[in-house]
Amino acid sequence: MDESQQVQRALQLIANLSIDKASQVLSKSIKVGAKIELENVYVADISKATEAIMVSDEGDVVGAYVDLVGDMPFKFLFYVAAEDSLTLTDLMLRKELGTTKKFDIYVTSTVQELGNILASAVTNVFASDFQIKMRPSPPKVVHDYASTVFGEYIMEAAADLNEILMIESQFRVVRMNIKCRMFLLPTGDTQKTLASIVAAA
Amino acid sequence: MPKRIITVDDAPIIRLMIKDVLTECGGYDVIAECSNGREAVEKYKELKPDLLTMDIVMPEMDGIQALEEILKYDPAAKVVMVTAIDQRDALMKAIRLGATDYIVKPFEADRVMSAVQKALGDLK
Repeated sequence: MDESQQVQRALQLIANLSIDKASQVLSKSIKVGAKIELENVYVADISKATEAIMVSDEGDVVGAYVDLVGDMPFKFLFYVAAEDSLTLTDLMLRKELGTTKKFDIYVTSTVQELGNILASAVTNVFASDFQIKMRPSPPKVVHDYASTVFGEYIMEAAADLNEILMIESQFRVVRMNIKCRMFLLPTGDTQKTLASIVAAA
Repeated sequence: MPKRIITVDDAPIIRLMIKDVLTECGGYDVIAECSNGREAVEKYKELKPDLLTMDIVMPEMDGIQALEEILKYDPAAKVVMVTAIDQRDALMKAIRLGATDYIVKPFEADRVMSAVQKALGDLK
């Protein structure tokens, strides 16, 4: 197994643990079971990754970007179909489903807060399981087409790169058929740091 | 007379959730909401509330800095920190500085109530 494969395996492990934690906190936040599945850990050509999102045609979404700063910086993105963000708002506020009908500060704030809570669940895994200190920055909320949201996320994180290492996951809120996506993108020297940790293990 | 509370969080939904819990509980009046630490310090000096609930990660001025400023101004201030799961270091710092209690997000209504009641000496 070469170094890049080892790093990929290490990231897959971190991603799996992070996702388990994120599932727990998401379920607690919205009081409904949520199941998060790791879809993929892969090295992607930036243009191809963006193209894949465009092809998936997810329409407009509400998302939260969070910078995870510290020993191993990552960029975190969470997004949900715009229509489903209304349902998540009702769940967060314990309101009858269908109560929230239009986009307002509480809808964007729900996505902001879920982004914050999920990102914190990820940093919790880094800290507790790997003694890697990180902290989330305040989330930035966006409402746009999925391809635009993803494009901004990926370009900002990897402006000087042609290829990036992506951790992609998808989760479903049980019985609601709400599909959300979560991405974790190593930035700066994170891949190198991870490689040295793997090599030392 | 209801006890006067200021909620501080950059997420309006968290401020609303805390306000709903305290309103339902009765005996508390949320007199102001702030979206960052700087506003919180100003509002504290202006309104002298009985208690603040204070988020940690916020733009402009975070909850730790705001706590320091408020305690410098009023060492007897009662501040309950509100934090997401992985803010252990920041939380410990807040407790060392003099925060009264803390709530971890996502939170249950009971936990918000008990933290506020305990801080204000209302817990029976």
